[in-house]
Amino acid sequence: MSHFYHFDTLSLHAGQTVDPEFGARATPIYQTTSYVFPDTDTASSIFNLERGGHAYSRITNPTVGVLEQRIAALEGGSATVCTASGMAATYCAITAILGQGDHIVASSQMYGGNISLMKNTLPRFGITATFVDPLDIDGFRSALQDNTRLIYGELIGNPGLDILDLEAIVKISADNHVPFMVDATFNTPYLCRCFDFGVNITIHSVTKWMGGHGLAIGGAIVDGGNFDWGATDKYPTITEPYAPFQGINFWEEFGPSAFATRIRAEAMRDFGASMSPMNAFLLLQGIETLSLRMDKYASNTRQLLDHLSNHKQVSWVSHPGLTSHSSYELAKKYLPKGAGSIVSFGVKGGRDAGKAFIENLQLASHLANVGDAKTLIIHPATTTHGRIDAEGLVAAGITEDMIRLSVGLEDVADIKADFEYGFRAAEKFASS
Amino acid sequence: MGFTTRQIHAGVTPDPTTGSILTPIYQTTTFVQASIDEYLDKGYSYSRSGNPTVKALELKLADLEGGTDCSCFGTGMGATTATMLAFLDAGKHAVISDVAYGGTYRLATKVLSRFGIEFTFADTSNVDEVAGAVRDNTAMIFTETPANPTMKCSDIAAISEIAKDAGAIHVVDNTLLTPYYQLPLDLGADVSVHSTTKYMDGHNATVGGATISKTEEHGAAIRFIQNSTGSIMSPQVAWLTSQGCKTMSLRMDQQSANAMAIAKFLEAHPKVEQVRYPGLESFSQHELATRQASGYGAMAWFEVKGGLAAGKKLMDTVEVWTLAENLGSVESLITHPVTMTHADVDEAERQRVGIIDGLVRLSVGLEDVEDLIGALDKALEGV
Repeated sequence: MSHFYHFDTLSLHAGQTVDPEFGARATPIYQTTSYVFPDTDTASSIFNLERGGHAYSRITNPTVGVLEQRIAALEGGSATVCTASGMAATYCAITAILGQGDHIVASSQMYGGNISLMKNTLPRFGITATFVDPLDIDGFRSALQDNTRLIYGELIGNPGLDILDLEAIVKISADNHVPFMVDATFNTPYLCRCFDFGVNITIHSVTKWMGGHGLAIGGAIVDGGNFDWGATDKYPTITEPYAPFQGINFWEEFGPSAFATRIRAEAMRDFGASMSPMNAFLLLQGIETLSLRMDKYASNTRQLLDHLSNHKQVSWVSHPGLTSHSSYELAKKYLPKGAGSIVSFGVKGGRDAGKAFIENLQLASHLANVGDAKTLIIHPATTTHGRIDAEGLVAAGITEDMIRLSVGLEDVADIKADFEYGFRAAEKFASS
Repeated sequence: MGFTTRQIHAGVTPDPTTGSILTPIYQTTTFVQASIDEYLDKGYSYSRSGNPTVKALELKLADLEGGTDCSCFGTGMGATTATMLAFLDAGKHAVISDVAYGGTYRLATKVLSRFGIEFTFADTSNVDEVAGAVRDNTAMIFTETPANPTMKCSDIAAISEIAKDAGAIHVVDNTLLTPYYQLPLDLGADVSVHSTTKYMDGHNATVGGATISKTEEHGAAIRFIQNSTGSIMSPQVAWLTSQGCKTMSLRMDQQSANAMAIAKFLEAHPKVEQVRYPGLESFSQHELATRQASGYGAMAWFEVKGGLAAGKKLMDTVEVWTLAENLGSVESLITHPVTMTHADVDEAERQRVGIIDGLVRLSVGLEDVEDLIGALDKALEGV
């Protein structure tokens, strides 16, 4: 599939060549563990990465492959590896290039799972991280150490919703030969193609807006194909011979997709966090309507922002699309079609009011996911960020009264009406 | 090749594109045609008319049953309905086992009768009664053997002869024994029908049905009705059923062995009035069951002394066994046909054919037989 096609066309067609056997219009679901080899020479060359082909579904699977190529096309990347979850994507991407003694400079506004990975898990293996306020560009520069091998952030920070200044950070990354990896889950390639601004790798929880229906867990690592791994000797996993594959050198053999190939050869093979074919098929169905859904999310979000901003029981509303938001200008630059459909707001009356509000909603679902077709709502301080200490909560921009809303695709009038049940229940706390 | 080899390999060839050892799930509505002149060259146009994943299961079942053609349906009732619609027109007549599955009885008496098709319910365990029920306009004899839930058996070969003489086709519902134990087409029948929901799936995962025809002509007649009325199996169900089929003989042997042990236990129990299982020597048609099938299956029924009240108490208190409809899965199920599976059969008709109020139906599963017997023993203590 050529990259000359436009986004909507790619979201329907990229990565799929019509099944040559029967002409099936939809992607077949290759729910299989293994693949029969025509002969031993072919088997050997597939095993040694000398030729494409499938051997075992932990490493590659034709249905998952269609999803991988589709996401790569939508992002404008060189290759994608899909994983069993978004967290697996983050973990596999980081550990593909970092090892003991290496260091990450990361945004402090990230999903709690990402923060916990870098703060609690990776240090056990000698990988440390310094967290920086996403708006503090100088902070990113000064946090760099000799052993820094990665700059990491979420384009739309969770849950403070501050936007990374991609071009400014790309400059720091390029000046120091450190790749810049961005979690693009909240924006999807429809709202921002990070590689267009020089980002090197994107990470997705495909579970969220990409899949869009809250029905399958999955992740993706997209290789931008634009990082010169060979410019320094800081990335030996990419540029030095890899013993398990007869000393293959990924950088020499695979060039722009060296990073993705390393992940497939090592992370998929050894860690095995592979996506199932059924999930890949389901997520492909979601991607077919990505742009339609993203436009509707943006429209519903705009109308709800207007509604909440004018509501007498709302103490504050936060969204990068509001002029009052600290990232308003950055959102205009990087996310002109919409700065995502996550909205934070405070209900007058603090923690008790927030609790009463959530518990009395009838339409919105109280749960810990985002990016469903349905409106979701949660209290971050006690749930998604519940394992972060008080200091960390402040750094992550979370207050006790904060309600995080993942705007759904329902008729916006019904979402507004539903909120009235919550506001009525929260009313008695407003004056206390 | 042997049945167990064929239940694994029949119908399946490695995907030529990728080598995938399993048939892919073609969850697709339509198939792209190379050109107008090459329309249908690859065999498929629209998934109502045919789907490669469903086809793989159809080829497997045709092979296992010894037929030339198989059509898979969304349910077992879909298979039965299509078979009847294919061979019965207004003014035609069919003879049906009077103890057929309740759904078959309902279809005949409440639905197809509206289209001018006539039915006679006969005790097909009595060959003479079948012969006596045949009329000039009889186009089909439909038997279910063993019959659900009475376990009455019908002599497939003898009834096939009667059908042949009458110019009618003989359809056998072979769900309870599967082709592993019983091959109606080899015994002279024309079409086998199945609820694949039962032993073919075996895991309570899907609802589905199948017809297998001895001749291509009959197969085409059923396919025509299927394409016209749209009662099809989904690719997902076909794929799951194909996986279930791979262990069908293993499950049937173990479940049948469990059933035999349970039937013997119940027969010796002082609180049990009667037990019906074709494998018991006390079963009135034990000789026929042994002659026309290579196994007795895993369905049985019994009556507790004290009738309906005692039976209800047992079903409500028994552990391990699950009170549920369906049969044939790895989970052992206990069912009260009078209130559950056969509630749509008239009470007088139920009594006449032997579906007595206290009948407790057992679908014996794959659990340890000690646990199944232990649970029944404990429950019987309490009644």
